[in-house]
Amino acid sequence: MGLDEDDFVFLGTPIEREDEIASRKKKAVAGASGTLKTLPAWKQEVTDEEGRRRFHGAFTGGYSAGYYNTVGSKEGWAPQSFTSSRKNRAGARQQSISDFLDEDEKAEFEGQSLSASSQFDTFGFTAAEHSRKQAEKEQHERPSAIPGPVHDELIAPAPESIGVKLLLKMGWRRGHSIKDVRASSDARREARKAFLAFSADENTKESSDSLVLETEAETSLGPQFSEDIKFSETTPVYVLNPKQDLHGLGYDPFKHAPEFRENKRSRLSASKETGNRKPLSMKESLFGPKSGKLAPGFGIGALEELDIEDEDVYTGYDFDQTYVIEDEQPARPSNDNNTLRLTSKEHNVLPGFGAASNSDYSVERFAPPKIPKDFVARHKFSGPREAETKPTASAPPDVPPPEDKNLKLLIDGFATFVSRCGKLYEDLSREKNESNQLFDFLRGGSGHEYYARRLWEEQQKRSGQSNLQLDVKVLPSVQKMTAETRGSLLGERPLQKSKKEPETSSSGGSFQFPTNLSDTFTKSASSQEAADAVKPFKDDPVKQERFEQFLKEKYKGGLRTTDSNRFNSMSESARAQERLDFEAAAEAIEKGKAYKEVRRATERPIDFLAGGLQFTSGGTEQVKDTGVVDMKSSKTYPKREEFQWRPAPLLCKRFDLPDPFMGKPAAAPRARNKMDSLLFLPDTVKAAPGSGAGQVSDLEEPKKEPEVEVEVENVERPVDLYKAIFSDDSEDDEEQQQPMNGKTGDGQEKKNEAAATTLNRLIAGDFLESLGKELGFEVPSDTPSEGTRPMVADIKSKGRSDASSETRPGLNEKSEEKRSSVKLVSEEEKSTQKGEISPRNWSGRNDLSSSESSGDERRRKRSKKDRHRNYDSESDSSSDYHKRDKHGSRSRRKRRESSREKRSSHKKHSKHYKTKDSSSSRYSADEERKESKREKRRRRD
Amino acid sequence: MSAATTELPTKEANLLKGHEGAVLAARFNGDGNYALTCGKDRTIRLWNPHRGILIKTYKSHGREVRDVHVTSDNAKFCSCGGDRQVYYWDVSTGRVIRKFRGHDGEVNAVKFSDTSAVVVSAGFDRSLRVWDCRSHSVEPVQIIDTFLDTVMSVVLTKTEIIGGSVDGTVRTFDMRIGREMSDNLGQLVNCISISNDGNCVLAGCLDSTLRLLDRTTGELLQVYKGHISKSFKTDCCLTNSDAHVIGGSEDGMVYFWDLVDAKVVSKFRAHDLVVTSVSYHPKEDCMLTSSVDGTVRVWRK
Repeated sequence: MGLDEDDFVFLGTPIEREDEIASRKKKAVAGASGTLKTLPAWKQEVTDEEGRRRFHGAFTGGYSAGYYNTVGSKEGWAPQSFTSSRKNRAGARQQSISDFLDEDEKAEFEGQSLSASSQFDTFGFTAAEHSRKQAEKEQHERPSAIPGPVHDELIAPAPESIGVKLLLKMGWRRGHSIKDVRASSDARREARKAFLAFSADENTKESSDSLVLETEAETSLGPQFSEDIKFSETTPVYVLNPKQDLHGLGYDPFKHAPEFRENKRSRLSASKETGNRKPLSMKESLFGPKSGKLAPGFGIGALEELDIEDEDVYTGYDFDQTYVIEDEQPARPSNDNNTLRLTSKEHNVLPGFGAASNSDYSVERFAPPKIPKDFVARHKFSGPREAETKPTASAPPDVPPPEDKNLKLLIDGFATFVSRCGKLYEDLSREKNESNQLFDFLRGGSGHEYYARRLWEEQQKRSGQSNLQLDVKVLPSVQKMTAETRGSLLGERPLQKSKKEPETSSSGGSFQFPTNLSDTFTKSASSQEAADAVKPFKDDPVKQERFEQFLKEKYKGGLRTTDSNRFNSMSESARAQERLDFEAAAEAIEKGKAYKEVRRATERPIDFLAGGLQFTSGGTEQVKDTGVVDMKSSKTYPKREEFQWRPAPLLCKRFDLPDPFMGKPAAAPRARNKMDSLLFLPDTVKAAPGSGAGQVSDLEEPKKEPEVEVEVENVERPVDLYKAIFSDDSEDDEEQQQPMNGKTGDGQEKKNEAAATTLNRLIAGDFLESLGKELGFEVPSDTPSEGTRPMVADIKSKGRSDASSETRPGLNEKSEEKRSSVKLVSEEEKSTQKGEISPRNWSGRNDLSSSESSGDERRRKRSKKDRHRNYDSESDSSSDYHKRDKHGSRSRRKRRESSREKRSSHKKHSKHYKTKDSSSSRYSADEERKESKREKRRRRD
Repeated sequence: MSAATTELPTKEANLLKGHEGAVLAARFNGDGNYALTCGKDRTIRLWNPHRGILIKTYKSHGREVRDVHVTSDNAKFCSCGGDRQVYYWDVSTGRVIRKFRGHDGEVNAVKFSDTSAVVVSAGFDRSLRVWDCRSHSVEPVQIIDTFLDTVMSVVLTKTEIIGGSVDGTVRTFDMRIGREMSDNLGQLVNCISISNDGNCVLAGCLDSTLRLLDRTTGELLQVYKGHISKSFKTDCCLTNSDAHVIGGSEDGMVYFWDLVDAKVVSKFRAHDLVVTSVSYHPKEDCMLTSSVDGTVRVWRK
């Protein structure tokens, strides 16, 4: 076939089909729109803009370009027409890069060459260039008298750009930089660097207190520098580096290794500032240490990076001498030769002089001013308010209160208010209530005398209060006149001041003062002060605000209406709870104050508040303050906490210790408490607390049984339990069909009994599980797939068990045992009959317990006796654990007495169990063989 | 008091010179006949401190060596340091048997278990790592990473691992019951040392205080002050009779306190610079101190 085809010769251009092109185009469109991109990478095709495939495999054509991999076109390669005549000579054709570029490349290329259009050409560079080119071109066209491009450069017709014009208008002159004078310019930096170098060099020779010198020099040079910069031009300042070394002129020891220059400089500066080792930025230098101090003498490998840990923390030791000496050696001896130089050993001391041990000059320090003992660090403003509220010398005459009770109340309240807030308030309200009849007393109407008297009284009271601070000594006359007493006289029931029902003030009325207003006002503000200082609800600002409001109301009273709507968002119960919190907090604060006072009395100042009362949103609770260290550290520290920690088995082995967690599943995360674990356990685990219970009961048994077996059960119990509860119908059917076990009739009832017992156990298990947890035992974590199979049959079997439990509620222990064995038999048979649910199936189920079971396996091998007991306990596990202790041995005996068949099946079952627990399928594969062997052995003995 | 001071090793018996740069740790071997020192010069040196002879120098570390510990049979020792590795050495050949890599930071302290089966290292990476010397595994047997900050020091008993950390805790990991006891001292714990009766832990804190803790209850028994310990790792230990507490100071002094009444019984200038390590002879009244000045001194009574 292939050969035949090769023989054909095709002539002419094949006609491209319409649909082919269409599909190609479609493809290109699709590719562009990104639909193709959803394809996997190996299915995507690279196409050009026309949808042609350009990349083929390496063996199917490679990369195709041009026109079928030629430089030609569809029309073929067309040579350029070349004409040259005497008149019109063809010059050497100038090739440009564009001749060799594809369209797309050209597009790319064009994109790269960016230039400002003449409109935005601030400095006219582009314009100049452009015009120069233009001129050149023109010159070619019309040769001028002056040959060469000289005059074109001289007279470049560059238009002044708008930017330049603007700048010039702003005072800028050509050639000057337009940078801000104060900004640190490159020139400045350059100059500074040079100066630093200079001063550093200087310091090697005159190792004077360089820091001071440097800073001094800097400050002195500062203005000069700025001056320089003021006149600095666009050309950078050329920095003259003074010659400091003894090398020949022009000789630079670091010519080819500039890194060392930096290195040296850094070292010099580092030695300068031994005191404060501020890390120099030496990143640009290759070998420069990041910090001034490096561990002496021990360089690290060239490929290693210097880290902070390489820094020498022990700064006391000076290893300066160990620095590697470089080829710049001749500079050093000169130091020693120069007698007038300062010796490097004793800094700042000229030869022949000794450093003074005590200098006259010392910074005079003044002790802080003594604060008088009675100084109170709080400023009292003697503002106009105070001045105004100064009680008038002459008391207004005592006037009986007006007839109108309401008016009297109003006046009382108002007077108190004014006495508190100052005269200004009175004026204000007078203005405001110009037309209000109620406030006639302000303008000398009815009750004015009484008002004046009240005001005077209140002011008197207040001034007395301020004089006597905490001591609330009210004049007897005033006491007589308080709103409360008056109210009681008048038969009014004062509102509870500790209660803050919003509805008390919600009733209408333009002005309503609570009846206990004046009283609460007059109360000492000390408690308020204390409350201000304490912010028990710091973490909740809104609540804190409410609390403050609460305190204010509690101690001072006030207008409550304004805030009542603020609480509306809270539920009644939440409000009540908060109220309780607030009361408690306030009480605590009060107590704290008392405590503080007591402390003050004993003259041992301690900040009670720092001791930490913290009120969380959940309620009040005392929180230990970690902030206070010194005083209380002895009390709060050391704090002991205990956690569970699981040593690795190997670790225990290496320490020759038994693993306390041997065979236990991984420990739960630390934060969990008992409740957590109960709450967050999956339902399946909740349903199987019997396992934990069984574990405990096992532990309570005499310690004959090694711990090991406890763990074994620990793992296996859930399975057993599930079976007891959720054994499915198919099992039953098989059971009944089986002639092998003779007690088919009993089987079902027994199972039901077992279910009942397990249910009982569930109840008891709740308790025991918690007990087990307290003893530090873990409830075996449940495999998620555990419940899947039994769950399916769950409903059916449950219904059944319910029905049958009615018929046979009796529970006898023997039948229960039998049940277990019977059931186990059925289980075993099932597995043997149905190959698909046989060991492998089981093994996959219980993978969490794999390690345990493998360990368990080892142990089984270890001692046969143990194994026996093991099996017993396994089969027992479904029986009532309460009776286990008593009947364990008996049941064992009985079982032994039972029929051979049953026994063997039981053993088989136990094998089956094992496979269930081991997760490794390969293990279960050769399980049959092993087991048979073992069985033989067992029969022998 | 005078009687007490005469018991204390306050007289310089030998000066061990050889380390270039700071000596970071000096440790007696199990019977106290030899001493191992390590330092900033990346070497570990084996000495006969009683005769003042340098026996061997071990070089392999890439950075400074911070701690060293010898097995009870004197056949092997382990060391750790700035190169984030724990080295397991053969004493006689001087070869590195194994390098345990895994710490993410410098390793501050290292200790053998009682049977020399495992090495426990305390690292800057906030972990204690247990390395197996018996098997060929180079993976840690266990990583204890409950510390919140650099673990500075580790001590092992027969059944417990005790670590002191900069997070202010001394954590005891009991392998028998699988519990972790965390005693928060509230101060950065620099060095811990266990009393010879095994009932107390002495914790050197960076507030220039040594604290003695009861191990069973976590109670603070005594506080020892007077020395300077603020920024460097300085060791503390107890004398063999548990009668005195010894602490190195950053000013080169060594302090002796009475264990019970916490009085400074004796203090003397041991070095010019920071005393990095104090090690007490397991049987005799003899003490090793090492310092940043590059010297190790042997003290006898």
